[in-house]
Amino acid sequence: MFKITRFLKAIASIGHGLVVFIFLLFLAVIIRKADVMVKNSIVTTALSTIFYPVQSVVSSIDDFYGKSIENEQLKRENAKLRVELFRAKEGLQELSRLHKLVRFENQWDYPIVTARVVGRNPGRFLTTFIINRGKNHGLKEEMPVFSMRGLVGKISKVEWNHASVQLLVDPNLKLSVMEKRTRVIGFLESVKGRNLSAMIPTNAGVKTGDTLITSGLGGIFPKGIEVGVVDDIHKSDLEVMRYMDILPFQEFSLLEEVFVMQKEPDWIVREMLK
Amino acid sequence: MIWLWIRFPLLFLVAVVMQTTVSKWIRIFDIGPDFIIIFIVLIALRRGPVVGALWGFFAGFALDVYAPVEWLGAHTISMVVLGFAVGQLEERFLTLNLGMKIGVLGLGFFICDIVYYLAVGFERGIVFNLLLTQTLPESLYTMVCGGVAFKFLFEGNLKNKHV
Repeated sequence: MFKITRFLKAIASIGHGLVVFIFLLFLAVIIRKADVMVKNSIVTTALSTIFYPVQSVVSSIDDFYGKSIENEQLKRENAKLRVELFRAKEGLQELSRLHKLVRFENQWDYPIVTARVVGRNPGRFLTTFIINRGKNHGLKEEMPVFSMRGLVGKISKVEWNHASVQLLVDPNLKLSVMEKRTRVIGFLESVKGRNLSAMIPTNAGVKTGDTLITSGLGGIFPKGIEVGVVDDIHKSDLEVMRYMDILPFQEFSLLEEVFVMQKEPDWIVREMLK
Repeated sequence: MIWLWIRFPLLFLVAVVMQTTVSKWIRIFDIGPDFIIIFIVLIALRRGPVVGALWGFFAGFALDVYAPVEWLGAHTISMVVLGFAVGQLEERFLTLNLGMKIGVLGLGFFICDIVYYLAVGFERGIVFNLLLTQTLPESLYTMVCGGVAFKFLFEGNLKNKHV
């Protein structure tokens, strides 16, 4: 045992730690270059064994601080909601009549699962977080995730008791959106893992302040979930298209609770995912 | 003796807790400090390149687990490089004053981010843009927070205690 320790110390000291450095760098490069399936397996193993319990503790600390602020906000919100409830009751009666009138199909008629955010990416690119609901609660991959304010992302990985949520700001998540006023369809993606940008036809007449909602195309997100507002409009390389900076309705780093819509992807997406 | 073994894991846990909680609360214009980098620089300066690179590996991997799976390994590579590079200035061999340590932290932040952006595979234009709009302000903020941490940890309990 003593010899092994001495041997390791000798190796570590060669070239002022150069051997250890090259070994660790080599290991890191292997992980970086690994196949996505292998990467998924590494992440899943790490999350289920060490990181999930640690993150639960960290999340509780964060939660404790947030509770007092949340309490104040809830009191104000409660008063506001009482007024809105009265209006909503009247509106509901009217809506019920209108539904019958136009045979409105309730596309959002899916069960909702409430989940708490228990893990966050500690790095500066917040693209994923972990929620405390999983297969045991009926969650499956590709299910839409949203909050009171609008779309958050989708489930990217599911374990028995927790799941990873891929946020809208993840550069790998791209979705079809619709401008609420003009009903024109566009394409939303993340820029630099931080900001949202949409590509929309030039002649559509979209202006700053217009609201984007999900278009329902693509088979994952149902139509009509609010995404964000147009903050700025830029010219693109293509004359017929415009790039738009989109301001999401929520600050992703401050999300504490989210809702998962138990909507499975349409059959065509399921076929593509196989 | 036990304290010597658990000191750095405990510091790492504190850094992770601060990164996921405090860092979020003290963000200014969406710019926040990076306590994980402060931790790696602190460890590397105290204990040299081997321990610096090892902790860089563990901390980088911890960050990678929560990053997009396609980018897995990028944080690990950048943090290993950071730990090893800063470890060359180990204070057993060099005497650095507080100002120089903060300077090393800022420089290390830049090195770490450049390696990270390259490892992820961002285009050159985007890398330059990110360095200006994100790395520069965040490194300055981290240097301020790191200065406070170094002041207390280097001149406090950890001073002149080598295992």
